Amino acid sequence: MEVKTEQFSEIAREELRKAYTFLKAGANFVRMRREAALSTFPDAAAAQAYGAIIRAEAISRLPELLEEFEKNALSNGAKVFWARDATEASQYIVGLAKERGIKYVTKGKSMVTEEIGLNEVLEKNGVKTWETDLGEFIIQLLGVTPFHIVGPAINIPVEKVRDLFMEKIDLKEPTLDPVQLGHAARIFLRDKFHRVEMGIVGVNVAVAETGTILNVENEGNIRFSKSSPRTQISVMSLEKVVPTLEDALHLVRLLCRNCTAQKLSAYVSMDNGPKKSDEIDGPEELIVVIVDNGRSRIYQDEIARGAMRCIRCGACLSGCPVYRQIGGYAYGWVYSGPMGQVLNPLLLGLERTQDLYRATTLCGSCKSICPAGIDHPGLFLHYRAKDVSGDAILQTRKPPMMERIFFRLWTWAVTRHRMWNWGVRFVRPFVNKQPHEGMLREVGGLFKGWFRSRDLPSMAKKTFHDRWIEMQKENSEGRNQNERE
Amino acid sequence: MKQSARDEILSKLKAAPRKPIPSRPGRPVLREISLTPGELIESFSKNLSQEGGIVHRVKDRREALEKLSQIAKAEGLKKVMVSTDDVIASLNLSAWGKENDLRVITSQDFDSRDSFKDAVFEEVDAGITGADFAVAESGTLGLIHDKDQARLTSLAPILHVAIVPVERMVGVYEQVIEKIFRGKKNLPSQFCFITGPSMTGDIRGVPFKGMHGPRKIIVILVGE
Repeated sequence: MEVKTEQFSEIAREELRKAYTFLKAGANFVRMRREAALSTFPDAAAAQAYGAIIRAEAISRLPELLEEFEKNALSNGAKVFWARDATEASQYIVGLAKERGIKYVTKGKSMVTEEIGLNEVLEKNGVKTWETDLGEFIIQLLGVTPFHIVGPAINIPVEKVRDLFMEKIDLKEPTLDPVQLGHAARIFLRDKFHRVEMGIVGVNVAVAETGTILNVENEGNIRFSKSSPRTQISVMSLEKVVPTLEDALHLVRLLCRNCTAQKLSAYVSMDNGPKKSDEIDGPEELIVVIVDNGRSRIYQDEIARGAMRCIRCGACLSGCPVYRQIGGYAYGWVYSGPMGQVLNPLLLGLERTQDLYRATTLCGSCKSICPAGIDHPGLFLHYRAKDVSGDAILQTRKPPMMERIFFRLWTWAVTRHRMWNWGVRFVRPFVNKQPHEGMLREVGGLFKGWFRSRDLPSMAKKTFHDRWIEMQKENSEGRNQNERE
Repeated sequence: MKQSARDEILSKLKAAPRKPIPSRPGRPVLREISLTPGELIESFSKNLSQEGGIVHRVKDRREALEKLSQIAKAEGLKKVMVSTDDVIASLNLSAWGKENDLRVITSQDFDSRDSFKDAVFEEVDAGITGADFAVAESGTLGLIHDKDQARLTSLAPILHVAIVPVERMVGVYEQVIEKIFRGKKNLPSQFCFITGPSMTGDIRGVPFKGMHGPRKIIVILVGE
């Protein structure tokens, strides 16, 4: 998937013009539904906090849990493949498809396969891939990135879906009814499910103590992809593992409530290996691909690894005042909203994602919502600090020499009151020369970057300090006069 | 020798600075764990109806068959795929089919995956299964998939009818897990929780049932 994180400002500006009224208008509704769903817990706060503890423990014990999961998955009869990066993972899967003479695969929604760009690699190698989650199916046909992690095509106008389906999947009667459009997709994909020989799905939770992998979905496309074909490939990013089945199910409770305001989604399927020999359906081989793709690097940073707690519920998106204005495209990659703001910089490096951890009000709405206990604002500040000091783990270089010299001088000057006062007097005429509605808007040269997203108010004729001295003078003159009288 | 990806990843993770494992509070309380059998059924029915499922209650197996006949008539069923699990086996559905003039087939009538798939995808009007559990907390069915419970029977047909003895009702998921997994060597290849019909809201947030799986799910609870 093409990385557009460096075009954040441009895309955001464009998206702002589109004014996603449904995001703004719907926000209250989404919030109320989510709160109602959480209120079905006897103690919602305790349930959310327990989710955070599970994820914190999982990340603390990550290597041991992965080993335990692998051992049990193997003894259940699954195969396990470890991939260092995107290329290793997708090349391995392509190899499996080729060995088996696979013409096409059906896919369940899986963010990690989008992250490793699996579809492109498969297609390049002559293996047709069908995204089968309705939203993913639509955006795949359109060739766009997900707008929202839960509703990837939620922003696509129904007219556009109609035209798309008429062109690409042979929709006979033009209709604007989402139900009929959905039905057309059902009919089209049903044939794919029927004859598919390889299904590729993600993993919502992996369970160390039993080697179980678990998928949560509403449509049934993942169950089809795990029932119909002879080969099942389950791709998981390595942080998905939790200690016990009870932990997994508690997280599923939280996931469904936070994600779609359901107590439980329509289907939660748990695999413990391939089908038994006397079963008529289900995969003859189940292959789990564990993807690192930068995570063992991120894990070296004790604070940054907190982002690996994420369970991809997407609640932070609708909760975010910035996301509600600009929607999902500006974040420029697989993950959007606050989730993307904490994950994309880690996976892609801080250098290429500068705007992502700065495009925030630091209001903390995401943090207050998160069932995994992620401290998003804390992470944004951590990334900013690392970006200034330079960091090999989080992949950012020190700022340019000029910038460093400037800030050293700046620090020296602003911590000395004489320098400050003199400096203010010195720059005032320059700053006040071109005020635009009382604001300095644009400056060329060295400071251009700073003004790209900031305005500087024009400066008062006298500083408080100047006025204070004058007042003191006036007062003492007044007192002297009084005394004389 | 070049280190394997597995060893490289694990050793990198292990070499990272360790953080203490946070201590755990007690598990959050679950309301359904202390319900009476009657309350469990009530809660199950309420939760499943909310997700668009239909619940019928019958006294015994004879009434279950009667209810099934009514459903077959109302839905216009001509050919059904039924599982061969213990609940369904005890109902003798092939005899019931003859009486009601519909064809009843099972996965065991097929000798290959492909022919079974042809039937379950294209030929039948409904899938009829038993269920191993009913979970009150969310109106959920639990199905253990094995040779008697093919996965596609409850998934591919547009209608899913599940027949569940009330003794199989539990409060919460943990009770199911306890029974399937604890101390078991040979785990089922797949275990599935089903809550209502297949659904989506992916086009403009308009929700509808029957995206890829069943559009309708009917649960017949057997027993008092």
